[in-house]
Amino acid sequence: MEDQDWVVQLKGVKLSREHFQLGPLHLQVPQGYITAIVGPNGSGKSTTFRMLLGISKPDEGEVEVLGQQVQPETDVGYKRGIGYLQEESQAFQNSMRAREKADFARMWHPEWDINRYRELVRLFDIDDSLRLGKMSKGMRRKFELALALAHDPKLLLLDEPSSGLDPIAWRTMIDVLHRHMERGDRTILMASHIVEEVKRLADYIVFMIHGQVMGVFEKDELFRSWQCLYVRASAADVRWEELPGFSSREPAGGDSVKLITSEASEAELWLQERDITIQARHVLELDDILAELVALRALRSPSRMKGV
Amino acid sequence: MWRTIQINEQSAEPLYHQIEVQLRALIVSGQLGEGTLLPSIREFAQQLKCSVITIRRVYQDLEAQGLLRTKQGTGTFVAKVDATDRDRHRLESVIQALDEAVAAARRVQCSDDELQQLFLDALKRHNGET
Repeated sequence: MEDQDWVVQLKGVKLSREHFQLGPLHLQVPQGYITAIVGPNGSGKSTTFRMLLGISKPDEGEVEVLGQQVQPETDVGYKRGIGYLQEESQAFQNSMRAREKADFARMWHPEWDINRYRELVRLFDIDDSLRLGKMSKGMRRKFELALALAHDPKLLLLDEPSSGLDPIAWRTMIDVLHRHMERGDRTILMASHIVEEVKRLADYIVFMIHGQVMGVFEKDELFRSWQCLYVRASAADVRWEELPGFSSREPAGGDSVKLITSEASEAELWLQERDITIQARHVLELDDILAELVALRALRSPSRMKGV
Repeated sequence: MWRTIQINEQSAEPLYHQIEVQLRALIVSGQLGEGTLLPSIREFAQQLKCSVITIRRVYQDLEAQGLLRTKQGTGTFVAKVDATDRDRHRLESVIQALDEAVAAARRVQCSDDELQQLFLDALKRHNGET
């Protein structure tokens, strides 16, 4: 990620609430890519979004968005470059017609593109004459997404974008988002726990667990380096914990052992040096990797994790 | 034509390498002719469900090898590959595949004689002699 422009930078950000502690958070989001934040519920994803928009104020640290320090006295103009799809729709807007909300957004955004808005409304099959409260969950979601995209934002923040979408709308959304990224200088930061969505969209994956970033990874590299290896365990004196990238181990029936590593190629060499044959291998799915990271975090201090 | 490229997620081979080998084969075999416009990096990544970082790497590698060229603002095209280069590239992928076959044979302690016999058998099979 050298020579990179950062659209979002969080430095030593901390935020404490009665039941929740976020940070210290360090995170950089590169321009031109789709970065997905993945983590269990309550790990601080939505709070992070709200801090980027200046809605939640951190107790400590720096938040920079689109080259602008976000502080209480900051001019909110930088937000015109942002499209934001929040996780929950706003109940107070229920009696508002979709078209009225669109007209309001249009006043706020000089770059509002009426043709793009109409195209999105058509693509997503939205009836924008309806009141928001009368829309199905899926249609309201599609409408909010169209609204977030209609001013061609430099930075698009998507909080669980596919929540409530049917499979057809979901596919349309994936396609629309890829096309938004086509020109190469747009950036998406999304939070999602839908494995397939992250696989289809993300270039970079950020794991966020219990208010902490557990590493930023290039997607394809991540899936290649985390692997599950099955080996014969007859060599009783092998210290499996020393396997490069060792994450976990469990018996796999007979004298086989199932090993999970975050450094597959190094682990393979290590096994080769000890004349241990790999019987089978498979790559891990995103949720498997997340589960391993959650377990690792419970076991040891995060500073020992690679990539932090 | 590029749509025929497929990736194997379970393979230990890095994704960029899997894609590069297949794209190079399409170019040197002439299936993707000179001047063919390739998809944008984002579109290619979407199709293969991989990251744009991987596709960018493939394009950069093949550009460095003279097989692709990028025109700012218009896109990435298949370059003119001259006959000798094409021949070299053409055999390169075959040599590589054979290297991999030898490595696979070594892993299961297959002898040289056995390997030669297997190679001749494979040839016969493909020539429809058995």
